[in-house]
Amino acid sequence: MSFDPDTIAAFVDGELDDLTARRIEREAESDAALAAEIARYRALTAKLSAHFAPVVDEAVPERLRALLVEGGIDISMADRRNAKHRLFAPVHWGAIAASLVFGLTIGLRPWVPAADIASVNGTLVASGALADALDTQLASDQLANAEIRIGLSFRDRQGRVCRSFEARDVSGIGCRDSGRWALERAIGGRANPEYRQASSGELLAAAAVMMAGDPFDFAAERAARDKGWRN
Amino acid sequence: MRFEEELVELLPRLRRFARGLARDASDADDLCQAAIERALKSRDQWQQGTRLDSWMYRITRNLWIDERRAAGRRGVHAPIDDAVTQVAGDGAAEVEAGALRGDVDAAMARLPDEQREVVMLVLVEGYAYREAADILELPIGTVTSRLARGRETLMHYLGEAA
Repeated sequence: MSFDPDTIAAFVDGELDDLTARRIEREAESDAALAAEIARYRALTAKLSAHFAPVVDEAVPERLRALLVEGGIDISMADRRNAKHRLFAPVHWGAIAASLVFGLTIGLRPWVPAADIASVNGTLVASGALADALDTQLASDQLANAEIRIGLSFRDRQGRVCRSFEARDVSGIGCRDSGRWALERAIGGRANPEYRQASSGELLAAAAVMMAGDPFDFAAERAARDKGWRN
Repeated sequence: MRFEEELVELLPRLRRFARGLARDASDADDLCQAAIERALKSRDQWQQGTRLDSWMYRITRNLWIDERRAAGRRGVHAPIDDAVTQVAGDGAAEVEAGALRGDVDAAMARLPDEQREVVMLVLVEGYAYREAADILELPIGTVTSRLARGRETLMHYLGEAA
């Protein structure tokens, strides 16, 4: 093999001049070691590309888009930064994960009454009592001691109706999507000691970032319900 | 196209780059957010006609380096490195390589920062050596030698899986 590793790397990276590149190609046809080395370099590039490729297809988080898209909710950078820190601190994610796993575990055991969260095609959606509350309960007309409390209802930038809620095991924001309430945000529920400190301010901040226009007032909330929460 | 619109189009790729640098998904999005805020604040410094993507990658990378240095001063170490060391024990390089086989995240975590950024720019983001050198504001020879060392390490840890 008459090419050094740097030249092989440059070849694989498309950095060689045409003449040298053609020489390598020709030589690789008869030099198995060189061909294997080229394959090894290519395999690494392919493996790394494949590993990171899914990130590009992920939906860009609203908090990033909101910084660049006009018509965003006008909350100050400082507010947003505070909200961000509260929302994404690792300790909270732990609580969220715990809540979700808890909910899902119950959901997967058919002999236990339906839990509040289910997974449909890889998306977490509200089910059971939570779905019922999101479907029917009006923030303006709920009992003070209701098991599940509805907060804000609003339209997000994709035009979906979204509603924030607080319950014992999980609190969050559900958005109406294909006839279900997809959980867009979830934090620990009222039963979680951390939740009391974080409180519903967190949900409000998250809702503010997602929102297009103003939150629904009493009449708009009722009208949206009567239309079945359709876009 | 407006400055903001171009940035929105760039976001998916920028998130991928940040994910490779910061490793943790929410840390990476924090990094993107800081980069966008910085870009909006210093948009006057971007010269029309030059590539916005290179400028944005440079901002992101510089913020990340600043953060890493600050974390270093505070004595914070990336937890994944500690975990790997504990699993492998002292000097058990082969055991470690075996344990990491096929795990791209863990292998990337073994790279020093200056190699990881070059690997991300050239092998994942597909920048030419010259473009990567411009983004990182380094001589091209430094970029190729860091890339070579990074590649060697990755091939070692990813073994036949690579």
